[in-house]
Amino acid sequence: MRLLFLFLLLGAQLAQAQQALLLDTYGTYNSTGVRRQVADAFFYGGLIDSNEISRSLSGLQKRNTFGLQMGLNAQWQTPWSVSKDAQKWGFSYKWVFNAGIQQYAGLQFSKDLFGMVFQGGLPYIGDTLDIGNLRAEATTFSKIGIGFGNKASQSTFVLNFVAVQRNLAASLSKGSWYQTPSSAQIELGLTGQAKFNRASGQAYGLSLDIDYRFGSADSTSNEQQFQLLIQNLGVARAVQSTSYSMSGTLQYSGYSFATWQQSSVEQLAQAFLDSLGYEQALVSNWILLPAQIQLSKIIDPESQQRLAAYYGAQFMLRQTYTPLVYAGAQLKVKQFWRTGIGMAYGGFGGLRMQAYSAFQFKRSQLLLRSDNCTLRNGASLYLQFRCDI
Amino acid sequence: MKMTSMRSFGILLIALTLFSCKKEATRWRTDWLLPVLHDTLTLNQYYNDSTLSINGSQIDVNLSRTILDLGLSDLIQIPDTTIAQQYQANFTVNNVSPGFMFVNSIKTHELDLGDIQLKKVRVSSGQIQLKVYNPLNTAVLYQIELPGVMQNGQVFVQNYTVAPGTVQNPTIATETINLSGYEIDLGGLQGLEFNQLQSKLTLKTDPNGQTVSIYNNQIFKFEAAFQNLRFDYAKGFFGATVIAGQEQFNLPYLDLITNGSISLPDLDLGLQIENGFKMALRAQVEELSATNTQGQSVSLNAPSIGPSMYLAPATGSWNTLQPSTLNLQFNQNNSNIKAYLENLGANQQVTYQLQPNPWGNTSAGHDEAFANSRLRIKMNAQMPMALQADGLTLQDTFDIDLSQDLQKSHVTAATLILDATNAFPFSCDIVLYFMKDGQVWHTVIADAQLVSALQGQVDPSDGLLKKKSKLKIVLPPALVANLQDLNQVAVSANFATTDPGTGLAVQQAVQAHAFLGLQLQLQLQTQIRP
Repeated sequence: MRLLFLFLLLGAQLAQAQQALLLDTYGTYNSTGVRRQVADAFFYGGLIDSNEISRSLSGLQKRNTFGLQMGLNAQWQTPWSVSKDAQKWGFSYKWVFNAGIQQYAGLQFSKDLFGMVFQGGLPYIGDTLDIGNLRAEATTFSKIGIGFGNKASQSTFVLNFVAVQRNLAASLSKGSWYQTPSSAQIELGLTGQAKFNRASGQAYGLSLDIDYRFGSADSTSNEQQFQLLIQNLGVARAVQSTSYSMSGTLQYSGYSFATWQQSSVEQLAQAFLDSLGYEQALVSNWILLPAQIQLSKIIDPESQQRLAAYYGAQFMLRQTYTPLVYAGAQLKVKQFWRTGIGMAYGGFGGLRMQAYSAFQFKRSQLLLRSDNCTLRNGASLYLQFRCDI
Repeated sequence: MKMTSMRSFGILLIALTLFSCKKEATRWRTDWLLPVLHDTLTLNQYYNDSTLSINGSQIDVNLSRTILDLGLSDLIQIPDTTIAQQYQANFTVNNVSPGFMFVNSIKTHELDLGDIQLKKVRVSSGQIQLKVYNPLNTAVLYQIELPGVMQNGQVFVQNYTVAPGTVQNPTIATETINLSGYEIDLGGLQGLEFNQLQSKLTLKTDPNGQTVSIYNNQIFKFEAAFQNLRFDYAKGFFGATVIAGQEQFNLPYLDLITNGSISLPDLDLGLQIENGFKMALRAQVEELSATNTQGQSVSLNAPSIGPSMYLAPATGSWNTLQPSTLNLQFNQNNSNIKAYLENLGANQQVTYQLQPNPWGNTSAGHDEAFANSRLRIKMNAQMPMALQADGLTLQDTFDIDLSQDLQKSHVTAATLILDATNAFPFSCDIVLYFMKDGQVWHTVIADAQLVSALQGQVDPSDGLLKKKSKLKIVLPPALVANLQDLNQVAVSANFATTDPGTGLAVQQAVQAHAFLGLQLQLQLQTQIRP
């Protein structure tokens, strides 16, 4: 989503600029059902009120998502052509350097699991809780890359070296929790697996960032200008990840005096894990980076049209992310100030309103945007800055 | 342009700072109910094992304990002993031809067994380690014979060919032989002596060796070390040494009683002294006393405590062995046995003397002991399982480690919930003392009593009188806040056999198959801090 506005800025860059520096930072979280007040507590701290938890719970569907994306990216579009020979293709391209750090976290969870985590098991005694169909994906990685950009179309192609700092891929295909009202006996069934890679477990790879523009070169023609943006398309190899798996059932109604006397807490905990078929191992594995693919219509900032429409769609190679579609209109308030308003649906959340403002100065541009103005279960802030030198 | 860019960058920084500002920890409250304990306390494991027995709808205490149990190996022992035999020429013998047998003699060894005079023993376990030394410059054939040591009619004979050696470095051959099953005749050459062991050493130079000279500084010897000998038969005079002893033992649970009293029904306590050796025996129970947890001691007073008593030798042998026994009976009429037991003495102490052959060697060395010969003191008691408890308090202390970091997820409130089904005829009040290094910081009392089965109804499914109770023990917030400092909890249970009609403590019999079913749950309120 944020890339839409990056396109807006990129489209607005001055053709005559020798070189440009682009800074792009963003932070967003959203959910299909968890109220913003609950999620905010994880970012700003504080007590999550039980009333807020109850309200969130009542708004949840059987399956829900929550996601978080944060990142900081810098790109330097150099003045140096790939080739000095005007007869060669490289003359039309200039070198581009790129560096950034990004974090993706996505969670799919059941309403019952949310209730158990945030309210405990006591309110659900006598109910069978479905805590399965849980999926958690989280990746933090940094990248540094080199590529080339077309001087005329502003399309860029960058190959990045990627270092994954942390990666988690976990799923719980089956999960149930039941406590009998008479004795509080716990009946737990879990089937799932996870792979976790810490910063200490080295994981390196390559990724490709493609910004391809097609359609009309400017707004004077009747054709629209579009962009196909592919980012973080690549993989990394983790040499030492920890793999966890679990498949089993457990019934626990308390231990006898003899068991408590003869066993340590560690032994009892291990017995629990054994009942659940818990296994742990060190493995090597490939990590698929959270690649995103976006197709969107771009608005030409030089256009004299006061009102223009934008729209697009975005996909991510993540099971916790649903395809995102958005559409809206932009109003050119002043020559240096454009503002837009629109709607978005998908990603980590439901239907919500977005708004942005872009300011264009003599040699720089600044954009601020939020995707959660109303109808919101999250918050987001996008800041982009471009300086043409 | 530069100012504009700086301004924009400033806005960016401020926005980022605000976004990342986190003032306090994220936290929320959850409530849990966790099962902790699920058990049924019964007396089943004590039925039919000489402790309890079912008698109709009642339980009888049929306590039988062996206080002392001595066997043959405890009374008759040969300490680890080494015997040696050697040959040394008085003068030089030259030109000794191969195959020359140059010594053949028998030696008798005396065993030091104190006042015990053994004529014969049979080894049940143990070993002999043989070591032979050859200082001659040709191989020597050693034959070691122990004439009194036999197995299946065969005399113990071992042959060794020991390689050539020197005076300074004689060649040594060593072997360890299991003596299990060997009989050892300690009667000497004529069979009339005791504690005597014979050996015979025969030496022969190597028939295929060279002609050698034997010098007077060459010592030919063997050593036989008897190790860890245990016997399953012994004959002789077993001595008259007094075995004086003091045995102490603790009765379980009685050491947990801190207060209150009980009243028991009339009972008989028997003490049986058993002599499984074919020898006369003097037995004397000098004192039988018990000390309770308050330090109060009561000694058992009875005519048979103190004076010596004499037991005849056992009769028969091996499988037909019949021990002689002496039975002492303590009851209300001849002792203070009731007061002795109602003192609830956890620490029991018995002081005794046992003396074999109190009149000396009257059997002329014909004392006998077999594999199944025992000297035993047994105690047995019989009474219906009934008691009257009035404020009988059992208290036990457990170490706990419930430390928690209040800056992380932690418990903010807790309640223990006890569901009990009681088929015993007593009620129980529970108090918990939470302590730090023995100092009580918090006292928590259950909100209700574990009610006696006497106030319940007969369950038609099993015919037992039983009563259900539900107790809550709420741990106050101050206690929960101190959990990380507390390291001990004392559980105090106050029992009473109160008559529901009169409210007075009365003696109550425990019904057969009585049990106490317990389900303990822990209700927790937690603050989660991810």
